[in-house]
Amino acid sequence: MGNEAHAGARILIVDDEPQIRKLLKVTLAAHGYVVQEADTGEEGIRQASIFHPDLIVLDLGLPDLTGMEVLMRIRDWSGIPVLVLTAKDREADKITALDAGADDYITKPFGMGELVARIRVALRHSAKSTDEPIIRSGSLTIDLAQRIVELNEERIKLTPTEYDLLKALAAHAGKVVTQRQLLQQVWGNQHDEGDSHYLRIYIGHLRKKLEEDPSQPRFIITEPGVGYRFLTQE
Amino acid sequence: MEKVNIERMPKWLIYVLLTLLISVLTWILGIYAEELEIVNIALIYLFPVLLSAVYGGLFPALFAAGVGVLALDFFFIAPQLSFTVSDLRYLISFGVYLSVAGLTASLADRLKRQAQQARQREAHTASLYAFSRQIGEVSDVSSLLDGVTKQLTQTIGAETSVYLPDSSGTLRRVHASSPDTSRDDERVREEEVLVRMVYEEGQQVGRGSQTLRELPGRYMPLRTEERTYGVLVLRVPADQRNTGNWLTEEQQLLLEALCGLAAAAIARFTLAEEAKLAHLTAESERLRAAILDSVSHELRTPLAAVIGSATGLIENDELFSKEDRMELLETIRSGSMRMNRLVQNLLGMVRLESGMLQLRREWCDIQDLLGVSLAQIQDIRGHRKLRVNLPDELPMVRGDEVLLEQMIDNILGNAIKYSPDGSVIDIEAKVSEDTLVLSIADEGSGLTAGEEQRVFEKFYRSDSTLHVSGTGLGLAICKGIADLHGGEIAIASRTDGKQGAIVWVRLPLPEMPEKRSGQDGE
Repeated sequence: MGNEAHAGARILIVDDEPQIRKLLKVTLAAHGYVVQEADTGEEGIRQASIFHPDLIVLDLGLPDLTGMEVLMRIRDWSGIPVLVLTAKDREADKITALDAGADDYITKPFGMGELVARIRVALRHSAKSTDEPIIRSGSLTIDLAQRIVELNEERIKLTPTEYDLLKALAAHAGKVVTQRQLLQQVWGNQHDEGDSHYLRIYIGHLRKKLEEDPSQPRFIITEPGVGYRFLTQE
Repeated sequence: MEKVNIERMPKWLIYVLLTLLISVLTWILGIYAEELEIVNIALIYLFPVLLSAVYGGLFPALFAAGVGVLALDFFFIAPQLSFTVSDLRYLISFGVYLSVAGLTASLADRLKRQAQQARQREAHTASLYAFSRQIGEVSDVSSLLDGVTKQLTQTIGAETSVYLPDSSGTLRRVHASSPDTSRDDERVREEEVLVRMVYEEGQQVGRGSQTLRELPGRYMPLRTEERTYGVLVLRVPADQRNTGNWLTEEQQLLLEALCGLAAAAIARFTLAEEAKLAHLTAESERLRAAILDSVSHELRTPLAAVIGSATGLIENDELFSKEDRMELLETIRSGSMRMNRLVQNLLGMVRLESGMLQLRREWCDIQDLLGVSLAQIQDIRGHRKLRVNLPDELPMVRGDEVLLEQMIDNILGNAIKYSPDGSVIDIEAKVSEDTLVLSIADEGSGLTAGEEQRVFEKFYRSDSTLHVSGTGLGLAICKGIADLHGGEIAIASRTDGKQGAIVWVRLPLPEMPEKRSGQDGE
């Protein structure tokens, strides 16, 4: 288990539902995290500055401030990883939150395993000071220094765009990357709305080259309506 | 044209023209007097009489007869150029002449009047006929009233307004032939009181009727045999306020006929409306019953499992072995998941039906979405084999990724739910003309004949699959999503020799955007 690495990490939960707070507190404490609760947006912002959390779990549907306001006000002065909790059918909220600096999202109702995995990924990314030159996921190796991609020890030929796309995804391994963020990172500032078409085409190409069965991908999975996630396999 | 001209001529002009005509005739006859017998000349003098009887009426004809006799006597009967008559037998001739002229004139005059009445009646009948055909075609009360008031303005020339009761029974002025600017409060109140009275009693009042004849208007109830539907008000034009006989008998009849027709049409609308409402109420009653039935069953069953397992664990923790405890916890999890699916389906349905859903139109890769769905169903697929058959290059569709994925989820979920463990599910996509066709075939029990449409109805559950839990919402949601994307969804029993059902989804393929040059190269 990798949670020893973050044992003692401080997590702030901002949610107005006592049942959800209780559930999170019990489970996260059991996983060795130090948990603090806030039941309103204002309280959340206050706690964020006095509790010095390593990560914030933020519910987007709060009674006083909207979750988005809390997120922006925290982002004004801090880069603490923020994991947002949303309802299933609020894709627009998810994208807005992610583009506004949230690190990842999780949809209610969620399984505890999924939540803990997301927390771990977010903590790992924030702890990393410099990018590791080599990213590994199962049989896939990406050597960022030499721009070499290997699958089962065999070198895979990628076009420059495909490589950039894979790199952008792998650099945030485990985290969701929105379509806009990908377009921004791969195509730069000149991209427009219509380019999401190419994004999908290149994701398709990448899958054909990397995945055994492109219909059931293992490395690059789609989060419908939001973006893509590069999965790392232990 | 000529007829109209003569009718519109001033009276004196007709007499002048007649005198002229007879003078000319006399002059011409004077030239040929030698050759003509006096009897013929007398007969020729009947012409102006006939002419004036037909075109001018009784009095001009009598005038023509008189002048004719005088001219005949003066110019042709000896002694000429004198009114004296030498032969007294001529007096008998004059008498006969005058009687013939008088009789002809009065006959012609009566014929003319009858023809005129017939024409008028024909015009009224035609307008009634045209109107009744017109109201057969109109589909709402407002355009009907528009037609009625227009017709009345044309034939009677009075301003009309119509009062109908609203839902609370208060009579409201719903239509007027012309916007009224000169209505002071007192007159409005007076009109309203009268309208209420006419509406309640169902009898016409006002000018030209039996009651309250001094009113400056006419109040007609719009009634059929059973009930009164409203009141039509005709206002007497200002220039006719003092004429006693405001409407001709024909106009009266027309007015009554029009009101009858309008009442019948309003009755028709009202009944149709009531029938529709009754149907809607029955339909929503049926839906409510179905929702209650489905939701209460689909919610209570897993709730019972969850509450039972949880209380068991809390109260008798020490009784259970580790395996028992895991099993109870697993029951709690699957029960909650089932409730979660129900809630999601209900919310999805509400969202689709509320019309508030904002459909996002993005490029969607069906292969990609299929991948997401396949990952979603890992937990429930058991040992069923999923065979995916996609072409190398599948064009993208435009739509909402989340909804399309939900649709594929539902179809795949059904295929798994209704087929035995270990069977094969075939998933195929292909391009057919300008649509993308996705088909998912299972090896379950298929459909009962006649169910192909009904399974897309909300809360419909097939009798043959009641042993499988479900809300009857999944396919209704799929249909809603397919419709939103301008696509189609259909289901049938398989016809390829295997047992089972097959679902097709057709989605329109838009034109691809031009590939940007200098983007990337292999």
